[in-house]
Amino acid sequence: MNIAPATAIASDLPVRSGPRLTQRARLKIWWRELDHVLLGLIVLLMAVGCAAIAAASPAGADRLSSDTVTLDPLHFLWLHLRWLAVGIAAMLGLSMLSRESARRFAILLSLGMVAALILVPLIGTEVNGARRWLNLGFSFQPSEFLKPGFAITLAWIMSWKLKDPNMPVFGLVTGALALVVGLLMAQPNLGDAILFTGVWFVLVLLGGVSARQIAGLIAAGIGLLATAYMFYGNARNRIDSFFSGGTDYDQVDLAQRTLLAGGWDGVGFWVGRAKFRLPEAQTDYIFSVVGEEFGLIACAGIVLLFCAIVLRVLMRAASEENFFALLAASGLIAQLGGQAFINILVNLSLFPSKGMTLPLVSYGGSSTIAICCGFGLLLALTRRNPFLTRETAGLRNMLFDKEKDR
Amino acid sequence: MNAYAIDSMVAAGPLRVANKRLEALLVARMRALLLMPAFGLVAVVALMRIASFGVLGAPDTPMSMEQRLLPPRGEITDRNGLPLARNYDAFALWYNPTAMKDGGSPLVHRPEEVAAKLAAIFPELDQADVAARLASGRAQYLRRRLLPEEANRVFDIGEPALELPAEKDRFYPQGSMAAHVLGYVKDGVGHLGMESVLNDRLTDSSLRGEPTAIALDLRVQGALEDELNKGMLSVNARGAAGVVLDVDTGEVIAMASLPAFDPNDIKTSDLMISDAEAKLGRTPRVFNSVTNQVYELGSTFKPLTVAAAIDAGIVRDLSLRYDAKPVKVAGRTLADSHNLGDTLNVPEALIHSSNTVTARVADKLGPERLRDTMRALGLAERPYIELPARGAPIWPGEKWSRVTTMTVSYGHGIAVTPLHLASAYAALVNGGVWRPATLYKVEPGKEPAGRRVFKEDTSARMRQLLRMIAVYGTGQSADAPGYRVGGKTGSAEKPSAGGYRKKLLVSTFAAAFPMDNPRYVVVAMLDEPKGTTASSFQRTAAWNAAPIVGKLIPRIGPLLDVRPDLSRDIDISDLRPLIRSDIK
Repeated sequence: MNIAPATAIASDLPVRSGPRLTQRARLKIWWRELDHVLLGLIVLLMAVGCAAIAAASPAGADRLSSDTVTLDPLHFLWLHLRWLAVGIAAMLGLSMLSRESARRFAILLSLGMVAALILVPLIGTEVNGARRWLNLGFSFQPSEFLKPGFAITLAWIMSWKLKDPNMPVFGLVTGALALVVGLLMAQPNLGDAILFTGVWFVLVLLGGVSARQIAGLIAAGIGLLATAYMFYGNARNRIDSFFSGGTDYDQVDLAQRTLLAGGWDGVGFWVGRAKFRLPEAQTDYIFSVVGEEFGLIACAGIVLLFCAIVLRVLMRAASEENFFALLAASGLIAQLGGQAFINILVNLSLFPSKGMTLPLVSYGGSSTIAICCGFGLLLALTRRNPFLTRETAGLRNMLFDKEKDR
Repeated sequence: MNAYAIDSMVAAGPLRVANKRLEALLVARMRALLLMPAFGLVAVVALMRIASFGVLGAPDTPMSMEQRLLPPRGEITDRNGLPLARNYDAFALWYNPTAMKDGGSPLVHRPEEVAAKLAAIFPELDQADVAARLASGRAQYLRRRLLPEEANRVFDIGEPALELPAEKDRFYPQGSMAAHVLGYVKDGVGHLGMESVLNDRLTDSSLRGEPTAIALDLRVQGALEDELNKGMLSVNARGAAGVVLDVDTGEVIAMASLPAFDPNDIKTSDLMISDAEAKLGRTPRVFNSVTNQVYELGSTFKPLTVAAAIDAGIVRDLSLRYDAKPVKVAGRTLADSHNLGDTLNVPEALIHSSNTVTARVADKLGPERLRDTMRALGLAERPYIELPARGAPIWPGEKWSRVTTMTVSYGHGIAVTPLHLASAYAALVNGGVWRPATLYKVEPGKEPAGRRVFKEDTSARMRQLLRMIAVYGTGQSADAPGYRVGGKTGSAEKPSAGGYRKKLLVSTFAAAFPMDNPRYVVVAMLDEPKGTTASSFQRTAAWNAAPIVGKLIPRIGPLLDVRPDLSRDIDISDLRPLIRSDIK
């Protein structure tokens, strides 16, 4: 052991001393510390999303038009641009927070949204048989805003074990998950419940549970899913219709027809017709609309883009020296990437329909802001002073030269 | 700060903590790396799926001829197999600017000319708007749901860019008939009526090949809606409701709520109304007033009260005369609509619809027994029917005061749906057994056991009394010759914020036929009828609701295998001498 414990702990402290910095200098520091590759990928994803919503908006607008109201074909694009402008501001603002401020923000967000989730069954509005929305002038889903806060709060709880190894962190995070999942199932909202469970799983995995415990957790997860299948009507219907396969004219089938209508290179922008028959063209099934209008190549591009974002963040996390930041970033990306891949697999008929949107690509209304908050916190957590020297072994050393480190 | 504090601690403690910290960090970093192949694997699976789609096209699930012929949604038929809801191939009008494939102008003619030709076929199209849409060169639907002949005329315009793709659509061949029972389909999901109730069955691939028969009889439904509509228009009523119920099985043979809507063409105004209209107590057209709207149904309750009294042994001697002068109770005075004399016996009280005698009979019966009978008739809970829209009755609670008992006895202070009343009348005449109403067809011998509310002989007595109302009393205009109709009128003032409103009535006629062996209950109700020439400037049920039933029964009787027979009737010779003829 050749490490001085004093420095190890000092590096976790925020820099508070030194001369007061000008606003300009702060911005410069923020920009230097920012993960530019990640920011670039996110901006690219936003641009892809705008194009996709422009393609899908006529279908959604056509569906919502009635004999008295005819919506502008680009109705959803204009709305999305408004939400996105707010979202980008939120993202950049949050990305400037220090790790401690980001953590505090996330904890407050989680507490507020759990309270809102408790209120949902009491004063929520019902859409399509599920009570998920709160109406505060504009309607929003508390579960969407809980997502970014949840991962960071759980990571914070897990990090307590560094201060005191006897802290029952595993029980605490599991309790937090049980509370959230219970509230979600009351709505009912199985899709998000699965997503939150996935985030929790990643955090306990990274938090250092033993291999045997992991195996036990996986077995319990399969058991829970089986229980949900048996006692939860909505899930059973969706899973049944997924495995019975090819029932004509259901959503999954219509999505596949739409996805395949364009071949490799697509029928062309605003020329697609299959999208008009698709319910939720601008939200859950936007990936299929991209397939019809821009082709399967564009679909593969979206998959690669999400894959690049996930790998970039995980790579950065794997060379992270701060336990909390490592867990928080991994949990956040598991949530964002998990949601994206579930949506993509649903569109490719590889996963039962879950009612989940494709982050930053689907039209999401207020949930776009929630996703932008998630990316903003991710940018804040992955910010790193490029001039600081490492205390522990770098990624390469850790992988190929582990013994030296010990 | 922490750094200095730790320095002063016992050396082993911080060292162990730091060691643990590094270990935990190393585990976390390694496992974060492990997540990368996990996500990468998912991405690879998605990419391979996309590649297989691109190379092979859709995974070709072989479709048998049977599957190809399977309708996208099951059909609904009436009890005799006549179609109520079916699928058909509609055409859409799709503008495809790339159809010419030569990169030039998408249209042969100028957009304005094409728009003019389209507007000639579809008068409701906005010509300028269509021209602008054609000129925009953006692919889009110009119109959905074209009839085949309209599609032919569009084809004749000779523009390749105007494509006519076939689309499956839901079609209600009878238009607005039985709209509230059927409901409608939007985005493949049934709403409102049996389309909603049967949604799972109608979309299940193993079941939807077979049409689903419901209890309705299309011909009876048509006659009911026709007569209700005529009756409603002739007295300028705001709405009308009617139901024909099989007394032995509870099957709903016909159910109509007017004004109706057309499920082929749902308009926003059918689904919602403005707040100002809602304040006036109006309801949108999709609102089913038979199952969802509760009314104080007035004097139609009197036979239920009398039956309860006969059943309990309170009324044994039908010739016994009751005081018919106004009843003073709890500071209120309950009176008849006009003076019917000093005393009346029970048959006379029903024939002339006396509030005072019914109230006195109920007073003798007592609140508990009247309440229990009303509850046994299902009037304390939402009506039993499959439809999702079922109104909760306004029930006067568990502890009835004397005045509540008296007003409930003639149908005030309690509000139920017309369907509640029909089910109660079925129990009144069918031998005394209450059964839930149903829209499913009931196979012979499979009717539910039901629950006994009245004794057989009470029911027999009520058949006589109801018949006498139609022969001698307020129900005379419902007495269709040969059909042995029996029934009771009810004209109730509508309640409003400031008490009852004298001029706004709900007039009802609840009937059953043929009374010698009752088969069907018919309830007809008019909401706010006006006095018109057609009703001799009267607003009460004897003048507007009863004639509807009188015209309806001769139309539906033969369809339901009830033959008119002037030589048959229920025996009322034992009660006939009890009726004095000098009451007006």
